[in-house]
Amino acid sequence: MFKGFKLTRKVENSLMLLFTLIFLGYISLSPDMNLESLKGVLIIGVTVGIIYGLVAVGISLIYTGLDVVNFSHGEFFMLGAFTGLTVYNFLIDGELIYAIFPEAYGWVGYVIGLFFAFVVMGLFGVLIERVFLRPLTKKGGGYTVAGMGIIICGFGLSVVLLNLAYIIWNPTAHPFRAELGLPINIGGVTLPMTYLWMMVTGFVVATALYFFLSKTKMGLGVRAVAHSKVISNLVGINVPLYISIIFGIACALAGLAGTLVGPTYQVVVYMGYIILLKAFASAVVGGFGSLPGAIVGGFTVGLFETSCAFFISGSHKDAYAFLLMIVVLLIKPTGFFGVQVKMKA
Amino acid sequence: MLKIKDLVSGYGSVQILNGANMKVDNQSIVALLGGNGTGKSTILKACSGIIRTWKGSINFNGEDIQNLAPHKIVEKGLVQVTQGKDVFPAMTVLENLRLGGFVLKSNKELKDNIEKVFNYFPKLNERKSQLAATLSGGELQMLCIGRGLMSNPKMIMLDEPSAALAPQIVLDIFKNINKIRQDGLTVLVVEQNVRMALLLADYGYVIKDGVINVEGDSKKLMYDESVKDSYLGGGGTTANV
Repeated sequence: MFKGFKLTRKVENSLMLLFTLIFLGYISLSPDMNLESLKGVLIIGVTVGIIYGLVAVGISLIYTGLDVVNFSHGEFFMLGAFTGLTVYNFLIDGELIYAIFPEAYGWVGYVIGLFFAFVVMGLFGVLIERVFLRPLTKKGGGYTVAGMGIIICGFGLSVVLLNLAYIIWNPTAHPFRAELGLPINIGGVTLPMTYLWMMVTGFVVATALYFFLSKTKMGLGVRAVAHSKVISNLVGINVPLYISIIFGIACALAGLAGTLVGPTYQVVVYMGYIILLKAFASAVVGGFGSLPGAIVGGFTVGLFETSCAFFISGSHKDAYAFLLMIVVLLIKPTGFFGVQVKMKA
Repeated sequence: MLKIKDLVSGYGSVQILNGANMKVDNQSIVALLGGNGTGKSTILKACSGIIRTWKGSINFNGEDIQNLAPHKIVEKGLVQVTQGKDVFPAMTVLENLRLGGFVLKSNKELKDNIEKVFNYFPKLNERKSQLAATLSGGELQMLCIGRGLMSNPKMIMLDEPSAALAPQIVLDIFKNINKIRQDGLTVLVVEQNVRMALLLADYGYVIKDGVINVEGDSKKLMYDESVKDSYLGGGGTTANV
């Protein structure tokens, strides 16, 4: 169409800026636009965004570690929510905590639920990787390259896990009545405590992940394996073990996110499906395979989705994430952080 | 130190090595020479456990190491140093070195070894907090060798340390390889640059079609007509002799 026209970095960025400005201009014309609603949208957007970010980080981690998109990641989110709910209900119904912490039994139970969701899903992820994915990757001649087979396996795994959840928890929606206290007021916006928990836990976990990856020896190993399995082998890293670790961390994050989201709505076996797609959109927007990109992408998708739902139309809420993904893929196909460091020569 | 007996291996179903025999003595430098696609790198990969050994044996320090997991082989003290492009580009020089010492247990040992590497290659010290992607070709090769030295190896195997480097830098790197040997390590070097490699090495092997074709003292090999023959494959012009 345009001869000699190339999408250089500069053109990409200007187009992204243009899109952002048009979008901001459009929503600012909305009749609902005022400071109060803007504050609300910002807070909710960031909160939802950190959840998308946590799941997207997992998808990106698995993508860099195993060279595969894990299409069953949403199911780990769902199972994590159920794990958290089951642990919480067990503790509260059995009145196990009430005796010790009569003042704060709700949030103590919730923290234990979060912890269990994190740990159990991490271990479950390692189990799944060892038992089901490892034989497939071995077929590829090493610990990587399994191509289409492993992607289909991901879908199959998703169906199996979904049905497993059916059998254990039945298909009805379970309310997650986490007693975390009364809604609080932040800067004029009344916010349920669950949102505050999502925000704080999300930021803490994201920061912890950053320090784990950049400062610890194990984190260094994870980054090395993510870059190249062959070189990691040659420097003496136990690559199969590290692939399990990567898978475990990714699933643990998804499980944690599940328990964080649970109390805002309900816990139901289908909840993993939509979060997978939205986290996938977040990972693409941030730059596929980049971990900071996944978090930033999560925020972007969360804010975009929430503001669109509030200012434009709430009935198409789930479509906006994919609209943003399409726009980013058209204008800036690498995503925000997708440019890997390239070697000279 | 390293004894390779009737080694048969390859990639997928393609057989590359057809029964190679080699021996590397303690504290020697041995050169493994050959043209493109003759199986030089395949021998190294089989030794470091990256590809499976189909038949034959690889004996290191009196233990059979064929088909051991790669990290176990590194722990035993046999390290392969890849070509300079195989660094972790998005990590700093220091992080790359730290990864080289991944099998080390103590932090102190790690620090000592980093000092040791900086002694060999002072250039790396100047650049220690830069990303590896910003290094020049020679520095990358130094980084790769340095990373290989980090795990206290008994023997290192170098895969074409002179590839795509200026002659001056090649000389510098080869001098350092000699110094590494004098400090007690055994070196196996795979090279395309025949003359440089034979100047450096004590003993040489020439591989052709997956078997060792010619072997002998490097001084002798230097003037051996059959080396040229097997290298040039009868009239080619690829060798840097």
